[in-house]
Amino acid sequence: MQDNQYHVTLTGKIADATNIEHASAQFARLFKTTPEVAMQTLQKGPVTIKRNVDQATAIKIRNVLDKLGIGCRILTADEADAEARAATQNLSVNNNTSVKKDSSSPISDTFESPTDHPGLQFKIEGKPDYSFVTVQLPANQTLKVEASAMATMDTHIEMKTKLKGGLGRFVTGESIFINEFTAAHGPGEIGIAPGAPGDMMHVYLNDEVLYLQNSAFVASAMSVNIETKWQGFTKGFFSGENLFLIRASGKGDLWFNSYGAIIEIDVQDNYVVDTGNIVAFTEHLDYKISKVGGYKSLFFSGEGFVCRFSGKGKVWIQTRGVDAFAWWAHAYRPARSSG
Amino acid sequence: MKTEIKGGRAFSYLDVELSPGERITAESDAMATMSADLDLNSRFNGGFFPALARHFLGGETLFINEFANNTKSTRQITLAQPTPGEIKAIELKGQTLYLQPGAFLACTEGIKVGVKWAGFVSWLAKEGLFKIVVKGNGTVWYGAFGALLEKQIDGEYIVDTSHLVAYEPTIKLKLQLAGGIFSSLFSGEGLVTRVVGKGKITIQTRSLSGLAGWINPKLP
Repeated sequence: MQDNQYHVTLTGKIADATNIEHASAQFARLFKTTPEVAMQTLQKGPVTIKRNVDQATAIKIRNVLDKLGIGCRILTADEADAEARAATQNLSVNNNTSVKKDSSSPISDTFESPTDHPGLQFKIEGKPDYSFVTVQLPANQTLKVEASAMATMDTHIEMKTKLKGGLGRFVTGESIFINEFTAAHGPGEIGIAPGAPGDMMHVYLNDEVLYLQNSAFVASAMSVNIETKWQGFTKGFFSGENLFLIRASGKGDLWFNSYGAIIEIDVQDNYVVDTGNIVAFTEHLDYKISKVGGYKSLFFSGEGFVCRFSGKGKVWIQTRGVDAFAWWAHAYRPARSSG
Repeated sequence: MKTEIKGGRAFSYLDVELSPGERITAESDAMATMSADLDLNSRFNGGFFPALARHFLGGETLFINEFANNTKSTRQITLAQPTPGEIKAIELKGQTLYLQPGAFLACTEGIKVGVKWAGFVSWLAKEGLFKIVVKGNGTVWYGAFGALLEKQIDGEYIVDTSHLVAYEPTIKLKLQLAGGIFSSLFSGEGLVTRVVGKGKITIQTRSLSGLAGWINPKLP
């Protein structure tokens, strides 16, 4: 191996005791750049800062960076190439391209929680058609999961069933039970598969409130409060299954799912969503149920009632409506006389 | 033979280009489109009596089809599975793989498709009385409902009934309650499968019972 084939790569991690301002100032002085650029470089994650130097120089640079508390690694050129290839491969797979070339290569449309994420570590696979979340539970932590949604788990995870779904879910045919899974004797993982074909979203609630459509709940941290809310007749009656909403509040992770893909919409002042397409919305949005046009269009346009959001906040909508699917499928179901 | 899995993971299908003299075996009714001059040969799924047993006890199809290209140039065939979901390919080099009933889609020559008594445990777990055994040298295509995730098992792991799609022979299945009696009755989890051993399993990210539980309350 030739001697000048070593790369020095920053890992993007800073030692706990290190002051980032101080470190970037020193870094800037060493590499003759501005502290602003230095700080960006330090926080960006894996980035190669020196290429094709000999081993002695590489070690010297590492020693200096070590003293500053800046994480770095020395790679040979071959290793660096391999890593870069791996990184681009990951990128191209995550790109959600519709046609997969190689029949044997795994199709991975995966979303992984960032490592600095304040909540639980998790991974959503199978996006967007059949999203499946795998949550890593630290020892003795508990996760609330929608009834019958657990698909896989470690053997030492214990399940308890709580009657917490509330009356609303009983009325609409959802399970009134919510299961609690605890990693009893050490960390473990649990895989959760919702029933509906579609996507899944993760939100970290920071003392916020989120309203979910009744069947959208997948799982949440214990610190998140899950309750059903009667919407009242004016707001709920015409919205069919959304007669009740799930109110999620507190601090922690929340996962919810949809039928179809999920679109996130930032509402500035007014936005209209078909009642069947609402998945979730933030608390500070006001909404009312109304018809789109006059009474004629109410009955003949096929649109029926819509939800008019106003204010500032976020709405998550699903690209398919459950009622529409139910009616579509119903026409082909074998007839059976009731009673 | 050139093959390609297309259609994304929601509605995967298999595109096959058969060179002269090549043949592919597919599950009955899997053929969606094909060149007009491919030869089709239906045969009993593993022999007459095993096929009957599987059909009536295991819910498998009675026949499987073999498509042969006896022309002088390449021909096309497209295979699709009944369930909305992903199709995966696996290369077998002499080893064996167990598939759940209904998961088998197609295989190349050199693969033997058989069935094996899976036991009452498997039946109680709603995985069927029989499991499909594929072995030999070649490629097997299989699929299920939802996306397919592979998982390396070393020790024990719990999989909800009806999420398991494929597993290696080194894996044993055991049935157990999901929790206590109350939990098992009301959690909606009921029975779960404990997979024990060292090897690879494939799970589907949706299940028919999950779909039914979601849509049934909403049906008119």
